[in-house]
Amino acid sequence: MKIVGVAACTAGIAHTYMAKEKLVSAAKRLGHTAKIETQGTIGTEDSLTPEEIAEADVVILAVDVKVNGENRFKGKTVIRVGTAAAIKNPVELLVKIEKALNANED
Amino acid sequence: MKLNGTAIKKHILTGIGYMIPLVVAAGLCMALGQVIDSDVRNSVTGLGYWLYQCGNFGMSMVVPVITAGVAYSISDKPGIAPGIIVGFVCTAVKAGFIGGIAGGFLVGYLVLAVKKYVKLPKPMRGLMSVMIIPVVVTAAAGVMMYTIVGLPFAWLQQVLTEWITNLQTGSKIVFGAVLGAMACFDFGGPVNKTMSTFVNGLMVDGIYGPESIKFVGSMIPPFGIAIACLLARHKFTKSEKESLKAAVPMGFCMITEGVIPIAARDLIRVVFSCCVGSAVAGALCMVWGTEQVVPHGGMLTVPLMTNPLQFCLALAIGSVITGVILAVIKKPVTDEDEKFDELGVNVLDIDVNDSSDVDFTIEKF
Repeated sequence: MKIVGVAACTAGIAHTYMAKEKLVSAAKRLGHTAKIETQGTIGTEDSLTPEEIAEADVVILAVDVKVNGENRFKGKTVIRVGTAAAIKNPVELLVKIEKALNANED
Repeated sequence: MKLNGTAIKKHILTGIGYMIPLVVAAGLCMALGQVIDSDVRNSVTGLGYWLYQCGNFGMSMVVPVITAGVAYSISDKPGIAPGIIVGFVCTAVKAGFIGGIAGGFLVGYLVLAVKKYVKLPKPMRGLMSVMIIPVVVTAAAGVMMYTIVGLPFAWLQQVLTEWITNLQTGSKIVFGAVLGAMACFDFGGPVNKTMSTFVNGLMVDGIYGPESIKFVGSMIPPFGIAIACLLARHKFTKSEKESLKAAVPMGFCMITEGVIPIAARDLIRVVFSCCVGSAVAGALCMVWGTEQVVPHGGMLTVPLMTNPLQFCLALAIGSVITGVILAVIKKPVTDEDEKFDELGVNVLDIDVNDSSDVDFTIEKF
């Protein structure tokens, strides 16, 4: 799967970046590719390009707060989850998402 | 537009997310101003005065920023302008932090309502965002905040303030202990956020004691676990010792999340020992009257506190209690533990079932 996503937490200093790291390494472990944009207090980093979004199979929003630019994902399948769940159990999260997506297609 | 628990939480957290840097900036400027110029309240110029004034301006914006942030989260950009104005009304009627959040919801949903129900003829549609929404929402929400919405919150605020300032020693201990335990219970998760929302609100309204409890509760987990690791090295895995090297300096800056990898392997024992240490430290903070005027910054902002030495003592006592308890109750590391996969589950044997706590929603955008 090609995954893109956004991570953002309340204070925007810790959970945001942990969620990103965990999702990226879990995706790698499962043989997916993932690019995650972070919207912390410092601002947006690693912004997703329109091409990356267009190519992605799924969008994961690991967010606790409102994020900017949700309209970029028009027409995509968007998964919404809290940062805590993404940090705690990223592998299981991705496996479950994959299963759910497959089930949706059937 | 559905109004459920998750959405409500998201809106509040968005507002608070905007508030935190503002309060840190304003609080630190005020404190620095006071350090530079000890008679700053009567000064009319000079570096100390300028910094103090910057802080003052910032502090007067705290509730408006929360209100605007909540409104923005609900209704996007059109919520910001009326949100700021209604936030100032909240301050004026003394509805405080809680009133500010309520005002944000009021503004946000009014914006959505106006957008939905007010239909203008095509040539006038441009007026919607520059005139109709800002004016109608500000007028309606502002008047409501002065009257039916603001009054109950002002009353609540007054009762709460009086209750906390009049606590007796026994109740102070209980109050401090509960807040301390909540502060570290989930290392920056929802319980911690509930607690910090509450104490940040008190701080905005001029009660600074509970804020210092948030500080001890946020810093005791990394410091306490580090002490436990020094006391009982064989009870921590290699990767845990590595994480501690990052978690301690993070803890110094009041970021608790660094200990999550360590807590994840042994949740109950770690949480239990941290909560006990923080509860004791929280109770001590209340009894000793430590106060903190800024909501973040860890050890760097301790010098700005009221009674900083007592605070450090409470922090040290709490950390040692956590460390000793954890060193005693933690089990020695086995080979199995060393292999504990830091991604949360053993990848080779994933057993995905629906009872797990991984929850997400799928939407088609």
